[in-house]
Amino acid sequence: MATAQHPSAPTLRPGVQPLRAGQGTSFLWRKLHSLLGIIPIGAFLLEHLLSNFEALKGPAAYGAQVRFLNSLPMVRILEWVFIFLPILYHGLYGVYIWVRGNSNIVYYPWAGNWMYTAQRYTGLIAILYIGQHVLRQRFMGISLPENPGAAFAKVQHELANPWMLAVYVIAMIAICWHFAYGIWLFAAKWGIIPGVKARKRFGFVCAALGLALAIMGLVSMWAFISPRYKNTPDIVPLTTTQLHIQNAQPAYTLL
Amino acid sequence: MASKTVQLEIKRQASPDAPAVWEKFELEWRPGMNVTSSLMEIAANPVTADGHATTPITYDSNCLEEICGSCAMRINGKARMACSALVDNLEQPIRIEPLSKFPLVRDLQVDRAVLFENLKAVKAWVPVDGTYDLGSGPRVFPQQQEVNYPLSNCISCTCCMEVCPQFNEETGFVGAATIAQVKLFNNHPTGKVFKEERLRALAGDGGIQECGFAQNCVEVCPKKLPLTNAISDVSRDVLIQKAKDFLRS
Repeated sequence: MATAQHPSAPTLRPGVQPLRAGQGTSFLWRKLHSLLGIIPIGAFLLEHLLSNFEALKGPAAYGAQVRFLNSLPMVRILEWVFIFLPILYHGLYGVYIWVRGNSNIVYYPWAGNWMYTAQRYTGLIAILYIGQHVLRQRFMGISLPENPGAAFAKVQHELANPWMLAVYVIAMIAICWHFAYGIWLFAAKWGIIPGVKARKRFGFVCAALGLALAIMGLVSMWAFISPRYKNTPDIVPLTTTQLHIQNAQPAYTLL
Repeated sequence: MASKTVQLEIKRQASPDAPAVWEKFELEWRPGMNVTSSLMEIAANPVTADGHATTPITYDSNCLEEICGSCAMRINGKARMACSALVDNLEQPIRIEPLSKFPLVRDLQVDRAVLFENLKAVKAWVPVDGTYDLGSGPRVFPQQQEVNYPLSNCISCTCCMEVCPQFNEETGFVGAATIAQVKLFNNHPTGKVFKEERLRALAGDGGIQECGFAQNCVEVCPKKLPLTNAISDVSRDVLIQKAKDFLRS
């Protein structure tokens, strides 16, 4: 369309500018942000919460789970490509989305509008939490890929601090909320549930999932602070559920 | 009953660059009065509550029965049509402000041309112009009419855009009204000739992806358009179109 010479071509006005029809790449970046929230980040969250649940079986089982995950082929590449980089992108682009929107729940205190705002705050909590969590648990202190037997004690020491425990509880609830509503948003915005009733029904499904995940996460945390596994040694020997290829060598030589 | 009055506070601005001032008005209560009829009464006797002569208030209105879409304004903080805002249902003093997301012209009048530009950008029409009689169009089955009719009720009042947290100068979001019209015209047996172009247009910057699904649009819509359903459906269509374009390029 050669609109440049057209007499009725829109002149630049103040205020919100019209749609730049078909121009730019923001569609791709926004959809990537949306997709990454489900796969791989959501999938990883499920894996992480399931792995955490192993803590209820005791330090050895928890360590064995950490060792299993670190025994996956190309695990360092998997870690960066499917966990760190997607979360970094999802988080940074999410903040970019947030700062460009202007919340108006003061004037329009409707349920969907509250959820819109909550999705931004829970996302911010998630970024801040994940930042410190990865730094302190993955890159600082004893290295768990080399010493999976130290996993339980490392987390236990972290949660022994009541402030840190509060941070973990808040973050657990916020992240499960963000993920549950994120699934719903994904389904709504990708046209999977275009009907009002379907959205409502799926809302209950997502709420149930989010609640279940949050409870699972909090119950797992209980394992670390309960008297049952009090004063777990810094490194527990992992002998019970070793993979057959690892039988020949002690755990600390792996990876 | 003679002593019963209606208190109004109206945000006024003489020009786009003039400072905004609030003026208070007091009108005698009459049965069935609404915000537009109140503004008409002020125009007939433009005197503020404390007795100062002022100018009549500038505002858009036309049909006075919530069908033209002209008189959208913020009444007690919420965007709505002034003609269907019955005074008896409003908390007093009734605070009236212009829509906040559109360039102000004067007082309560704003320039909502961006919606017209957006509708043009997505070709929200049925192309029937030609040099000869095209004859009658294809038949639209009643089942399809049932889907289309609610979408055709849009009165371009821009309330959905005003209340949208994503509709602002940063995002340049197109807004729910235009997206609903894309669905309407894509459903039309003749209008769908532009279907692919409309969907590609909506994938541009400020397009459908900017929706944050706060769902304020569907809450506020005076004509009860199924806006969130339309956004969901059209989002999927846009995505499929972009995927097809990518694979066929």
